Amino acid sequence: MGITEKIKRNIDMTSWKDKIPVNYIYTVGIAGEKFFREIKDNGKIVGTKCEKCEVTFVPPKIYCERCFSRLENYIDVGTKGTVHTFTICYENVDGTKKEEPTIIAMVKIDGTDGGLVHWLGEIDSKDVEIGMSVEAIFKAKEEREGSILDIKYFKPT
Amino acid sequence: MTEKVAIVGVGCTNFRSTTPDLSYRELTYEAATKAYEEAGVEPKDIDSFVSTAEDFFEGYSIADEYCPDQLGAVLKPVNTIAGDFLQSLITAYMQILTGRLNIVAVQAMSKASNMTTLKELELFAFDPVFNRPLAENPHFVAGLEMNRYLYDTKITREQCAKVVVKNKLNALNNPYAGHGAKITVEDVLNSEIVSYPLTRLDISPSSDGAVVMVLASEETAKKLSDKPIWIRGVGWCSDTFSLESRDWAQPISTKIAAEMAYKMAKINDPKREIDLVELSDLFSYKELQHLEALKFCSKGEAGKMVDDGVTEIGGELPVNPSGGSLGVGNLYECSGAQKALEIILQLRGEAGKRQIKNANIGLAHAWRGVPTTTSVIAIFSN
Repeated sequence: MGITEKIKRNIDMTSWKDKIPVNYIYTVGIAGEKFFREIKDNGKIVGTKCEKCEVTFVPPKIYCERCFSRLENYIDVGTKGTVHTFTICYENVDGTKKEEPTIIAMVKIDGTDGGLVHWLGEIDSKDVEIGMSVEAIFKAKEEREGSILDIKYFKPT
Repeated sequence: MTEKVAIVGVGCTNFRSTTPDLSYRELTYEAATKAYEEAGVEPKDIDSFVSTAEDFFEGYSIADEYCPDQLGAVLKPVNTIAGDFLQSLITAYMQILTGRLNIVAVQAMSKASNMTTLKELELFAFDPVFNRPLAENPHFVAGLEMNRYLYDTKITREQCAKVVVKNKLNALNNPYAGHGAKITVEDVLNSEIVSYPLTRLDISPSSDGAVVMVLASEETAKKLSDKPIWIRGVGWCSDTFSLESRDWAQPISTKIAAEMAYKMAKINDPKREIDLVELSDLFSYKELQHLEALKFCSKGEAGKMVDDGVTEIGGELPVNPSGGSLGVGNLYECSGAQKALEIILQLRGEAGKRQIKNANIGLAHAWRGVPTTTSVIAIFSN
């Protein structure tokens, strides 16, 4: 067993370039429908609460990820939150440099145990701090299409 | 029925940033050849094979179907784990514990250099509805995590940088490692910021390579090897996948996996009882987070361990003497294999210039990288 003769010159190496064309539709499900319809139609953020664990999930889930109970209690959690952590991204997905860095934050929605990972806007990156209060800024109603991008960003309150 | 299982043979390729001369199958073949030779077995002697593969990383749908050939496993029992090598090792371990299988081979391979859109593939691991539409470089998750971890613990970027300096230096003494270097803390801090506070040098560079190991039941292991390395304890755990509800400062899955492994290995005081550790350092701060989660120190104390030189090769608890992922390279699902390999070489006394004195019990840990929350641990003894 074993390799007895290896390729010795780069020029002798052959490769085949290929692409995997992957197209997919992800239906958002029962909790996702509630969440995105509220965003689209009313500019509201909803979560589900597990009464047993006293945990409020944002985005909502139809089950508690801790005790596995079914959750049906959708609640309006408001649009304000706190920067739990943030980062400033200097690179695009392909590794190229961004023209302008983006600020991404994990925003804990006030009064809940969840939140949203989204951009921060209307703030200079050097002024961002963990713990600062922010609120969701939505696109104009006619531009909203039921996606996470219906929220433009969170901005300081 | 056997209760003890040992590693009786290991084989690996070099870990390098590119390996254009071998196909991914030939990489595995090279590692398998060495492992079987070391164990003194041929494929016909092996009862079962466990491979490790992620479809998108392999570049195939149903990648598990592409695993048998290069292992000598055609027309044999094969199963494939879509996870880290250490999860495959645990699967092989449990197969032998059933008493039905005596010798099992385990494999993992990385051909990251074949992935021309590596970060795009990683982005595919994110929630398609809530996270992917932002279309950000996946490193942002590490940036978020590092920032919160430093905020919570008061650990500094300098202390994270010291991890990089240490691991890259260790890698200089590891002939298998592809990313060894002698650098300074300033080099790390001054390298370009990728996702604040994370710099380029805080990130382990992607790497190619393959590892194969042969496991055997107690009686067989004693026949096959004069230096069997025993599996003493294993643990694995997955946290919630949601970015929105996970803990951003602590890898809780590692903590729980460690509790499981320590209980099984009857380890009460890890720092005193374990001689060396290979843990996931895919990013500099992860080494510190994982030291705390593995209970080698209390929360926020890992920075001090690095300051005091405790985790250096000559220190009280050497951590990532192989160079870790920062010095060897990010081997994706083969990462845990490289960690386990180093522990095994050290426990056999075959680690050359980086050999740790009196190494009798070692811990290998893997985390599956951004954006995952899965941790796996295996504890070995000689």
